[in-house]
Amino acid sequence: MSNRLKKICVFLVAIAMLASLAIGCNKTETTTKGENAGKDTTSSDTADKDSTPRNETLYFNGQQWGAINDWNPLSSNSNNALGVTQKDSSRTLTYETLYMYNMLDGKMYPLLASGDPVWNDNQTTLTIKINPDAKWWDGTPVTADDVAYTWDVNVKYESAAGADYSNYIDSIKAQDASTVVISAKLKDGKTINPLKVLEYIPRQFVMQKAYLQKVEQRNGNDATKMKTDKMDDLVASGPYKPYVANDQKVVFQRVDDYWGKAASMWGKLPVPKYIAHNMYKDNAAGDVAFKAGEVDVSQQFISDVPSMIAGGKISTYLPEAPYNLGATMPTAWFNLEKPGLDQVAVRKAIAIATDYDQIIKTAMSGQSASFKDVPRSIMNTTPGEQALVDQAALKTVQWTGNDVEGAKKLLDQAGIKDTDNDGIREYKGQKLSFKAECPSGWSDWNASLEIVAAAGKAIGIDIQTYFPDANTFYDDLSNQNFDIAMWSPSAAGISNPWTRAFQLMSSSYNSVKTQMIGNFGGYSNPTVDKLLAEIPATTDQAKLKAAYTELSKIYLTDVPSFSLMYRPELFYTVNESVWTNFPQQGSKSEKGIEIPPYDLTDGYGIAGLYTIKLVNGK
Amino acid sequence: MKGYKKYYTKKIIWYVITLVIAVILNFLLPRLMPGDPVSAIAARTAVGMTSQTAIQKVYEDYVKAFGIDKPIYVQFFNYITNALKGNFGVSFIYYPRTVSDILARSIWWTVCLQLPAIIVGWLLGNILGAVAAYIKGAWDKAVLPVFLFLSNMPAFGMAIILQFFFAVYLKWFPASLGYGYDMIPNLSLKFIGSIIYHYQLPFWSIVLITIGGQAIGMRSMSIYELNADYVKYSRFLGIKDRKIVKYVFRNAMLPQITGLALSLGTMVGGALVAEMIFSYPGLGTTLLSAITGRDYPVISACTLIITIMVLIANLIVEILYGFIDPRIKAAQQE
Repeated sequence: MSNRLKKICVFLVAIAMLASLAIGCNKTETTTKGENAGKDTTSSDTADKDSTPRNETLYFNGQQWGAINDWNPLSSNSNNALGVTQKDSSRTLTYETLYMYNMLDGKMYPLLASGDPVWNDNQTTLTIKINPDAKWWDGTPVTADDVAYTWDVNVKYESAAGADYSNYIDSIKAQDASTVVISAKLKDGKTINPLKVLEYIPRQFVMQKAYLQKVEQRNGNDATKMKTDKMDDLVASGPYKPYVANDQKVVFQRVDDYWGKAASMWGKLPVPKYIAHNMYKDNAAGDVAFKAGEVDVSQQFISDVPSMIAGGKISTYLPEAPYNLGATMPTAWFNLEKPGLDQVAVRKAIAIATDYDQIIKTAMSGQSASFKDVPRSIMNTTPGEQALVDQAALKTVQWTGNDVEGAKKLLDQAGIKDTDNDGIREYKGQKLSFKAECPSGWSDWNASLEIVAAAGKAIGIDIQTYFPDANTFYDDLSNQNFDIAMWSPSAAGISNPWTRAFQLMSSSYNSVKTQMIGNFGGYSNPTVDKLLAEIPATTDQAKLKAAYTELSKIYLTDVPSFSLMYRPELFYTVNESVWTNFPQQGSKSEKGIEIPPYDLTDGYGIAGLYTIKLVNGK
Repeated sequence: MKGYKKYYTKKIIWYVITLVIAVILNFLLPRLMPGDPVSAIAARTAVGMTSQTAIQKVYEDYVKAFGIDKPIYVQFFNYITNALKGNFGVSFIYYPRTVSDILARSIWWTVCLQLPAIIVGWLLGNILGAVAAYIKGAWDKAVLPVFLFLSNMPAFGMAIILQFFFAVYLKWFPASLGYGYDMIPNLSLKFIGSIIYHYQLPFWSIVLITIGGQAIGMRSMSIYELNADYVKYSRFLGIKDRKIVKYVFRNAMLPQITGLALSLGTMVGGALVAEMIFSYPGLGTTLLSAITGRDYPVISACTLIITIMVLIANLIVEILYGFIDPRIKAAQQE
């Protein structure tokens, strides 16, 4: 009988061995593209099919989490960070936009377009010229027709972009092969929102008409099928095309006859032949790989950046604290319908008692500008936005934090006192007791809210932190089922700071039951709404500055929410073991334009791909 | 043979009943969690949008696509009819990827990591337990306690220690991923070598933890058996020690086999820690993000797989028992 047992064991071990072998076989499921995608992908010098050579590949982390879903810009759930990311500064490795946004000067630079977009006199139509050199991967030229058709498809099948922008754009038509005319939606003869019209062009990927028609045909013009088509056979115009995509990594291969090497665009090819992103399961794993030199560009929050920089190989956009450019402000939103939080005094007291220096020092490990250096307003820290606000006029309403005595005085004056001596103040007989929430595991945010809670305790307001899983949090936030919640408004973009101001204060969201965009707490102020309606059509810089200053003043007076720190839109830390000459403060492209810290992929940040160099050699 | 038939029919009926109940729970429990599966995906989509009607539209689109606007019994009926066809629906967080596609891609990583690790851990553990019980000495006083200590370490602690010591500090093994960070999957020797190289730390992090628990069980069972009357009697009869030991360990093995079956059944969920820390591709993290993302179809499919594996493993053990241990068969035949 023991022989039988032995046999069973042998059998089990044999299964185990076979299973291990199956790992190897499993790899064949991986999609390796490139061979069939066009004539330009074969190259002689990298016949090594086993790997992407270290000195030809730029490695990323912190962007792609989990396997990608599709290559479809119409889908709103591609989970394809490097391939399909449309935002204020879209990621143009694969698909390209008409313009690239540069947050440093707040301007747009042409990509598929040529020259600046031109408004007509009454700002109702915007005319854009297409770069005659621009080509799709299949060699056909990018035309105005493609731009128009992309719009039509987005509207027809109600993609997220189509649904949003059709409120502001009436039509996009091809005047001739190289001229696009965008007609804005009008109200009383005036453009509803010129900023939203402008916002579309650095954001929306231009897709090939012929390819879109092919996809429409295979999906029988069905909207759901169109939005969920994987588009594995994509035709785009960008410098990199998909090469490998599986559960561990995504790799892009350079398109060697990319149109951008024409003198009218970059005049050359981007330097790395491959762009690769391994999927690390968490920040810790990503950091270990980054330190080991297996990652060149890290889009992760690294808490010990200061000590890493001291090592010499690692660098950031700014040589010293705060190391990055704060493009957004993670903000604590008050639910203005909660008794107690409907009182300005309570909101402001919590805001001025919070120790922001402590947040920046501990939660952000110094990686945020302080509110003493960049005083609070609705602006981020970029020079472009700071130029739109009169800081001197805001002095009286600004605060830098940790003002416990001032907060106590404010509450006392408002008659909100601790009447039963239990250490917690009451408002209308009710104890001031609130929950401050953000998703669990967002450690820097969690730490920030702990500091807000401590400030509450110091001034006699009970604030308990609550860190549910992200889904429960989104639910609470979008249904106004919170007391204090933490979330970031919009970062940098051509329509900012307007979009951010809108998200922070527009009452237009209050009528919607479930909404995920902004003003989660239900703030409402007619003056604000009027200013928000006027700003998009204002072109006069002085008037704009006055309007934004006024908005900031109201924001800081009414405190519907308050920023806890400045934060970059993308974290950007580079390891210069293999590649060097990464964009840093002051770095310029060959055309003399300053390159923003956008991880060499987003908006004008992609210019960095043309300037990096190998440490040893070329 | 008649006895066998009755025994197995009864068993199988019980297993089917268990399966039915499990399927209902698999469907129901995830859906009873608070939180809305659409909010996360809609929140991602909403970034940069300004029109509240547009985002409302996106939100409703997803609700419709996921079918969660329908009454729960209709959803259940759909789930069952689809599941019978092997279709587990479309994932919410990885929409529009199908659950089958997601599982098919990652389950092999988990199985190939867990199955050999559990079996090797189980074998080594049992050998150690038997040796400690029989030979005693240093095995019982030193080696076994060391493995007991290791097995009481939380799985993530073991994984982090191995990672820090062998990957970060000594740099003998890679710290993360399933194959080289610069490799492109293919069937070359270099690539397979890379897989084996990356396999070591996650594999041993599971094995080292498994050994102690198995060993202690085997040791107590063996000691109990070594002192049993039949052993003493056999000794009186002058039967050789070697032969007696064989009987002893065969008897001591029985509960251990049940343990193995159970751990094989739960391996899908158990791989989580090693997969997380070593960024190893696999099902563990898929399941975790499915749970936090309220991805009902993925959760239900994963738990269904676990349920079925546990049931099958148990069924096989029960069947094997009938053969291995005549006493059980005899008891069932009465």
